[in-house]
Amino acid sequence: MRFVRDYLIPRLVQYVLVIFFGITAVFLIPRFTGQDPVLEIIAQIQTQGGSLDPIAVRKLTETLQELYGLRGTLWEQYVNMWRRVFHLDFGPSLFQFPTPVSELLRIYLPWTIGLFATSTLLAWLLGNVLGGIAGYFSSQSWSKILDAVIMVIRPVPHYIFGVLLLILFAYVWALFPAGGLMLGRRTVVDLRFVMIILRYSFLPALTLVVLGGAGWFQQMKLLVQNVRREDFVQYAQAGGVKERVIISRYVMRNAMLPQITQLALVLGQVFSGVLMVEMVFSYPGMGLLLYRAVTRGDYNLVMGIAILSIFTITTAVLLLDLLYPLLDPRIRHR
Amino acid sequence: MNMKWFWAIVIGCLFISGVAFAQLPAGIPREETLIADQLSGRVGTPGNFNLWAGWRWQDRGIQQLLLEPLWTVDYATGEIIPGLASGMPEYNEDFTQMTIRLRQGVYWSDGVPLTADDVVYTIDLHVRNAELPYHGPMAEFVEKVEKIDDYTVSVHLKRANSRFHSHFLDRWGCLRIMPKHVFEKVDNPITYEFNPPVGCGPYVLYDYDPAGFWTLWERREDWDRTPTGMLYGKPQPKYVIIQGFESEEARILAQLRHELDMAQHTPEGLKVVLEKSDTVRAWRREWPWVVNIDPCITGIMFNNLVEPYNNREVRWALTLAIDIVEYMAIAFDSMAPVSPIHLPPVPAYKEAFFTPLEEWLKGFTLDLGNGETFQPYDPEVPFKIAESAKKRGYPVPEDPAMIRDLFGMGWWKYAPEVAEKLLKKNGFSRGEDGKWRLPDGSPWKIDIVADVNVASHPLRNATAAAEQWRKFGIEVTVSPTEARETMILKGEFAVCDQWPAAEPWGAGVDLSRTFDPWHSRLLTPIGKSVALGPGGAARWCDPRLDQIIGEMEVTDPFTAVERTKQLGIEALKILIQEMPTIPTYGYCGAVAWDEYYWTNWPGAENPYTQPYQHWPNLKYMLPFLKSQKK
Repeated sequence: MRFVRDYLIPRLVQYVLVIFFGITAVFLIPRFTGQDPVLEIIAQIQTQGGSLDPIAVRKLTETLQELYGLRGTLWEQYVNMWRRVFHLDFGPSLFQFPTPVSELLRIYLPWTIGLFATSTLLAWLLGNVLGGIAGYFSSQSWSKILDAVIMVIRPVPHYIFGVLLLILFAYVWALFPAGGLMLGRRTVVDLRFVMIILRYSFLPALTLVVLGGAGWFQQMKLLVQNVRREDFVQYAQAGGVKERVIISRYVMRNAMLPQITQLALVLGQVFSGVLMVEMVFSYPGMGLLLYRAVTRGDYNLVMGIAILSIFTITTAVLLLDLLYPLLDPRIRHR
Repeated sequence: MNMKWFWAIVIGCLFISGVAFAQLPAGIPREETLIADQLSGRVGTPGNFNLWAGWRWQDRGIQQLLLEPLWTVDYATGEIIPGLASGMPEYNEDFTQMTIRLRQGVYWSDGVPLTADDVVYTIDLHVRNAELPYHGPMAEFVEKVEKIDDYTVSVHLKRANSRFHSHFLDRWGCLRIMPKHVFEKVDNPITYEFNPPVGCGPYVLYDYDPAGFWTLWERREDWDRTPTGMLYGKPQPKYVIIQGFESEEARILAQLRHELDMAQHTPEGLKVVLEKSDTVRAWRREWPWVVNIDPCITGIMFNNLVEPYNNREVRWALTLAIDIVEYMAIAFDSMAPVSPIHLPPVPAYKEAFFTPLEEWLKGFTLDLGNGETFQPYDPEVPFKIAESAKKRGYPVPEDPAMIRDLFGMGWWKYAPEVAEKLLKKNGFSRGEDGKWRLPDGSPWKIDIVADVNVASHPLRNATAAAEQWRKFGIEVTVSPTEARETMILKGEFAVCDQWPAAEPWGAGVDLSRTFDPWHSRLLTPIGKSVALGPGGAARWCDPRLDQIIGEMEVTDPFTAVERTKQLGIEALKILIQEMPTIPTYGYCGAVAWDEYYWTNWPGAENPYTQPYQHWPNLKYMLPFLKSQKK
């Protein structure tokens, strides 16, 4: 009971407050950007030479404000927003009107989860395993070479690396498509479907795995190098414990703890996607959706994505805090 | 890693990459398919084709393939093409009644004949339903719409309007005719998705990407029962894919791999494609390649409600502080035609306005005070630009007529000393550092609100203007911002890179579309949104222009051609005298066509129609394409 009173309840209150302030900030920030979603739509039509006469534009502005729910004071809009949040209804996307925000999330989220979650987990696994081994055997020449190669790859921006892969594998050796999934609404889930998905996702995934993996590698290598010097490792070595056991159970397991924390936080970012990679490969993910929403002042869509993101990240952190004792025996909820 | 695992991964990768399948959806032969780039990018409402209810990414093929309007403008030929209509609109004497005669034998894609009932239904619905975007003008002008017979419609107007037909004249958008038999069964035409869509154009929807990257259209079996088929014959591609790309690199690579037949790149991207491909051509086969007959003029816009830009002499001083030869090199590598007037140099306007105005331009004089005058027009500008381009190694033609065609008819002299006199006459002064001071003694700083897209013509203009005015001694910054559109429409700027004038029709002699946003009744205070950004956001008006617009409203542009033209010339003279915005050069599109699968594109040597894939006129290009069947 003491755990509930002293830890769980304050932690849950903190959780609720973070969500409350986060959502409030998400409501306010787009409204301070100076962008008017109604005017953005009208300007898009006009800039591309669309034929709208002044009378039509005036009427259209009024109609869109009504349809978008942008009438009323800021307070009225704020109260209305909370009402929507409790009903899990984010309203229609303003730029992609009348498509509901929930519909857009339903379409794009699986693509991002498929690419981002898979490649992040793969990058995390590869980076940590390789980084751990390279860290333990840091004096070996192969470890030094691998470290040097990764040091070169790591700072390369996702955009540049993606374009490089495109040039190499979609143009010089045209093994993979240059982007744009050719899956229509008539698609049936069969082997061909799976092949197309894999083929189109391969280069974006490779970009994420290589660059992400390089980051995990470097962090893990440093962690392992530190853990390796701990007393309990040297004691195990002195006690004649097999090296394989020392690496996996003594060093890697302990060095892994901060990496697990970070993985949970990184996975929480699934809602903001990986914009640059999605742009290079014309991949239908959440990053592009959010980018469009921000640049077009699409309040509702920004809200929808950000609220989901806030919920996911805060919940992930809460769960991690509660579950940490299971992972790290040194921590106990008193 | 275990070696077994290693080889399993390698073989898996090879398998994935080696699986043979076309880039296209199953059953779509590439050689019978035209693939075109979508200008507006990925579709945000992939399952919604109801463009009557609002913005629906109409260049995904809805306007080019699915639907035909009553009339379409073609700026390349200078013609207005009657599509669903059998001829031009007919007005009564006092312009209170417009008669539309329909082409007979046109059918909707579901086999229902297209008749006067559809036209009457469309107009009537728009008069009644306030949520439809074209409700404004329909409710404002239409008193009654009636069917005379199956192929004749009469629209009675509440007051005289000789331009009422322009609401049905397609120039990247207009009120298109709805299939009555579909919409009359719908409860709410705003929320209705119109999927699958029923059209009167030569193609029907075949498939689309639920994520919005592409839309696939199939030629109708009965293409000969559409206006396109009747006017020009069978569209050659059996399938057309309109595809959106999120990055220039992906678009370039797709074209180099013959996976994209029609594209609009940045000029830099076009150069790369032309250099790397043996089969891609541009609008012009030689330098400067780009489309220079676009019906849009670019330049710089002043907010005429903000000091000191509310002073015509200040605006003129800033114009004369521009060295246009240098400006063009900075802005567009000297590849575009300059324009001293607020019109783009499309073929129809060169003949109707540019040539007749040139003598007047030569004699046009500015009053510098103290009895001193200055004639600012310089007809030698195109030759100076040609010389500058030649010095930079470009293959510039020698023929003077060709030089004027490529670089424009002339522009304003670079006369910083005259600009200085105009400014000093208005109380401006130079500080000890040589920088300009406003009449109140504070430093003159210009912040140009600009587009964020580095390849866009607006930002190119902003960058070049900033460079020129800095050289003249003004502190200038360029501020690209995502909020540009909103700021410009609301007038929250002093100087910006918006189009200096609303885009005209591009054909005929009617310039009302350009002048209308400057009527005093549309003058909007800062903080409130103007109805039309291009031109209109300058927040300028002139009683003389009001009078001309008023007369245009009661002049038939089809029958009173000479008078309409004269009114246009008079209005253009007022704009030059006042210079509320600075027109610089005609918009240039970097169009690239791959000749691997399709040839006979409407290039500069044979401009049988306008060249863009995103314009509604694409349907009128398709019957002329020739298959290479490689």
